[in-house]
Amino acid sequence: MTPTHRAKLFFRSIAIVVASAGSLAAAGAAQAPTPPVLVAMKEELDRSMAAMSNGDPAAYFISSTVADRQYSEVSGSNGALLTSTETRARWLEVQTRVGTYQLDDTHKLADRQPSWTSPGTSIVVDDDIPVLRREIWRETNRQFRAAGEALIKVKTSQQVQVQTAEGNAPDFSREKPHVSIGPRVEIKVDRKPWEEKVRAYTAAFSKSPEVLNSIATFTALGMNQYQVNTEGTQLAFSQIHYRLELYVQSKAPDGMDINRYANFDWLNPKDAPDDKVVFARIQVMTAETEALDKAPLVDPYAGPALLTGRAAAVFFHEVFGHRAEGFRQKDINEGQTFTSKIGEQILPEFISIKDDPTQPALDKQMLLGNYAFDDEGVPAENVQLVDHGVLKTFLMSRSPLVSIPQSNGHGRRQLGFVPVARQGNLIVSSSKSVTNDQLRQQLIEMVKAQGKPFGLLIDDIAGGFTFTGRQQPQAFQVLPLVVYKVYADGRPDQLVRGVDIVGTPLVSLTKIVATGDTPDIFNGYCGAESGSVPVSAVAPAILISEMEVQKKETSTDKPPILPAPAHDSEDKGQRQ
Amino acid sequence: MRTFSAVALLAAFLLIVALPAATFAQAPVPPTETDQTLHAMHDEMERSRTRLQLPGVDKPFYVEYRLLDIDVRSVTSSFGALIASNDTRNRFMSVDVRVGDYHLDSSNFVSEDGFQGFLGTTGEVGIDRDYNSLRQDLWLSTDQAYKQAVTQMSLKQSFLRSLTKPPEIDDFSQSTPIVKIDPLVKPDWTSRNWEEESRQASAALLKFPNLNATRVNYYLVYFTYYLMNTEGTTIRTSRSLAAIEAALDTTAGDGMSLHNFYAVYVSKPGDMPDPATVGKSLAQAGTELGTLRQSPIVSDFTGPVLFQGAASGALLAQALAPSISGSRPPLSTMPAFDEMMQRMGGRSEWSGRVGTRVLPVGMSLIDDPTLKEYNGQLLLGNYDYDDEGVKGQRVPIVENGTLKNLLMSRRPGPEFQASNGHARSALLSDTRPLSSNLFLQANGGLNAADLKKKFIGACRDDGHEWCLEIRSMDNPAISSIRQEDFSEFIGAVAGGVASGERVPLVMYKVYVADGREEMVRGGHIEGLQLRSLRNIPAYGDDVTVYPYMQNPSGGFAGTALGAFGSAQGGIPSTIVAPSLLIDEVEVRGFHGEPRRLPLVDAPPLTQ
Repeated sequence: MTPTHRAKLFFRSIAIVVASAGSLAAAGAAQAPTPPVLVAMKEELDRSMAAMSNGDPAAYFISSTVADRQYSEVSGSNGALLTSTETRARWLEVQTRVGTYQLDDTHKLADRQPSWTSPGTSIVVDDDIPVLRREIWRETNRQFRAAGEALIKVKTSQQVQVQTAEGNAPDFSREKPHVSIGPRVEIKVDRKPWEEKVRAYTAAFSKSPEVLNSIATFTALGMNQYQVNTEGTQLAFSQIHYRLELYVQSKAPDGMDINRYANFDWLNPKDAPDDKVVFARIQVMTAETEALDKAPLVDPYAGPALLTGRAAAVFFHEVFGHRAEGFRQKDINEGQTFTSKIGEQILPEFISIKDDPTQPALDKQMLLGNYAFDDEGVPAENVQLVDHGVLKTFLMSRSPLVSIPQSNGHGRRQLGFVPVARQGNLIVSSSKSVTNDQLRQQLIEMVKAQGKPFGLLIDDIAGGFTFTGRQQPQAFQVLPLVVYKVYADGRPDQLVRGVDIVGTPLVSLTKIVATGDTPDIFNGYCGAESGSVPVSAVAPAILISEMEVQKKETSTDKPPILPAPAHDSEDKGQRQ
Repeated sequence: MRTFSAVALLAAFLLIVALPAATFAQAPVPPTETDQTLHAMHDEMERSRTRLQLPGVDKPFYVEYRLLDIDVRSVTSSFGALIASNDTRNRFMSVDVRVGDYHLDSSNFVSEDGFQGFLGTTGEVGIDRDYNSLRQDLWLSTDQAYKQAVTQMSLKQSFLRSLTKPPEIDDFSQSTPIVKIDPLVKPDWTSRNWEEESRQASAALLKFPNLNATRVNYYLVYFTYYLMNTEGTTIRTSRSLAAIEAALDTTAGDGMSLHNFYAVYVSKPGDMPDPATVGKSLAQAGTELGTLRQSPIVSDFTGPVLFQGAASGALLAQALAPSISGSRPPLSTMPAFDEMMQRMGGRSEWSGRVGTRVLPVGMSLIDDPTLKEYNGQLLLGNYDYDDEGVKGQRVPIVENGTLKNLLMSRRPGPEFQASNGHARSALLSDTRPLSSNLFLQANGGLNAADLKKKFIGACRDDGHEWCLEIRSMDNPAISSIRQEDFSEFIGAVAGGVASGERVPLVMYKVYVADGREEMVRGGHIEGLQLRSLRNIPAYGDDVTVYPYMQNPSGGFAGTALGAFGSAQGGIPSTIVAPSLLIDEVEVRGFHGEPRRLPLVDAPPLTQ
């Protein structure tokens, strides 16, 4: 660094302090000082709005978001390190809305696929206000120009478009401003011990000759998000998340892919899972893999089924949660399963469902869908979606419905996508619960009553994908990974594989007859239109009077011809 | 069922011809070798060669493992502030398994159908350089590659039966096995602080407040390439590259978006220019862009154009790439695939012209990967062995104006069978015959003054008041600040490159009356194809070394779009050429609507 350059940076930091002091006075109260990024964002926001609100077309709303992301990833496979990286990056997104809250450039046109990705750019990580401002200025101009072009298309198309009921809903909701400057978080990750761990974890999987491939990935995320908008919102908030994922792949003799997955999530480095716990999980996963390899294929079946809590949580997330996302009610291409059902009984009266992102944990277990502000700067709200079986409302972003004009803090997205209404912590509760043992007994009684030889116990479901579009059949597919036949005559449970659930969502939801009394948590990343977002689903075990299953499609790719090198007695390889 | 019976029949037929292949053995890895990568590759290959077989189907006749061990440091800054700094270390493998024989094998065939495996034949592998995990990965990929080859072979067979006359060209040429194990090279990043250097260098652009945005990328890479095949080839070779690539972006007073770029390539981090030197070059690029911003828009023009120095190298990189490869394109069941290749400028103008005159008499074109430098300047395309393990050879492509040879990989073509060591790739992409260090040489070049005189004379004779001189051509792979800008550019020109659309960056009007020069902006060239070089009125006695990276992604390599690459994933190449005076070049001025100027003035760059 040249002396002059050093001096310049020094003066810049003085300027930051002065600016911060000014903002602090304005914000009042015991807020942390305004971070330099936010100073730059605010300065450009004010300058842009002053000019663009008088532009043609005029901007009525501008917001900018900077996500300052620290991310470490250590990944191992088959006993060796795969990657070990650490990155820090700042991503800028600017939104300039032209037109009015009622009709603006983002208005969805029936004949056009909406763009789910949101433009943005990497910007400097150094707290250099002039350079930050230059980047924000450039991005704001770019977005303003694009918005103007988009509004012309909307206006010309608007004249010929058939109006739907929800087509009259405004394009953007008016929200109160929020000012909250939280502390900046920083994570310090020593990757070395994790490099050793992921090697050891995946080496443990490799002991089984049935395991074809295993991956263990440790990730650490420290994110500081900054948001400002022309309504007066100014936010600095943060998120920390540590995660360990285990994944193992195998193939049944007929070529069917077998895989098992487990994840551990924690907020505080001291809560990292102990090696003993991880190795125990690896042992269970390996045993399940080996058992699934040998398990018989399921035959098509319709009858009673018991879903354990974790499986039920995924089930509710897929079958109910996605359909309660507000933006789907607005889109005529969507199935709109629940659109006209507010106030109606859609579930048994003993079931209630809320989505509560404000809840950080349940029984000391982290809830991954926890956040203070959503990605549109709206505070997260606890939303009662179903009260004693009656549908009350939808999850809302700032894209309102005629009947629901306000966001309830569920506008979420992965960086680089446009926020839409998404789930946070979906929590299912029941007023008709029995112990899990009693629930199993009820299953057997129901099997007998229906004259079936067995019922199904679904222990683990992979977050599948939900067909919510109108073009697809109104059916959902979730992928049960661990399923047992529970025999009425007292024979031991039998593991089966290749199970696919079939059915229509509304029907299956009404067939819940009882629930267990212990809520189980599923933490995961949910992929949908606005990318992958962290979510939790919480549910007790559920008993369904009738569930229909079919055989899963088999892969044509048979298991490898030769045995694994490490388990090949004929191999002459020297170094093992 | 049908698939497999067809393959079984084929196998019975092929067994006779394929026999010699089975006698090949791999070169043993010396027991004293401590590199577990070589041992793992050898042992898994040996097991696959001898024991990998589906019932009723023949064994592979060829197995090839490629492995890339790569260490990258990349640092990006803008206006003195850091944007990103990353150190990454990765290892990738690529497995090729072929069934059939050298005449007819499972390769060179593109089809929509085919084997869908659960893991694929390429992928990331462990970075520990250990034995066990690599064997596991190679095992699975070899299995997938073999099954893929068997399925491809059967699809290809039925496709061939549908043709009236199947191609007679061999699928794969024979090659001498090579064993060459170079010492492993440990990355030497030097003690220089690359983050600080990139900040300092990029701070030079703070003096240009008219720049909207800048990106200065430092990219340092070390890699070790492994190649092993069942013919007995074992190669381990290490290389390094260090690059600085910078993009500068501004808007002219009428709203036209303009940019400039700067690139420097050296062979190792220690050779990188110091930040003051880089800053000076960046300032030069900034000044040039400032002048461009103030300059008038060029009007439509057809007439003589002088390509000076680096502009001539950049033009040749685009125009020559599709025509100097002699390998035949793969068979395809999809007409869309052929169309796509055509659109990207993949069509060779020199195909079928061996023995005829393609350049002016007295002019030669030579590709020579064996040279490391030219007049003390680094030649980026230097290598000993190509990515298929064939010794890189000097190839006189054009001698005295007549087309004599083409660049060959081990995929034969209609005119030539054998490889001349030009199979190239980056990051284990598919190998293709590509140029390395390409020399356009000629006797009777004019000195700068005479060339200018000739140029002005030609211009006057053609009845113009002024003609155009191009000093540099654009490379949007470097000059685009965002990836989407590059994609947009590719989308816009992809249709034009095959028909000769070229994008100049710095262009001057030269007036006939007094030789006065005036920078102009906004023009692009149309219809400038290779045949325009068959008769050129004049060329200089100057020689400019133009280093560039061929872009292997998206099937660009070997097409005109391949000339747009960057150090990140590009194939290091050089063109050495004199300035060229070309007749009848069509330049189109700017005809669109310039975009509106920003409503808000740029904020100050310094406080």
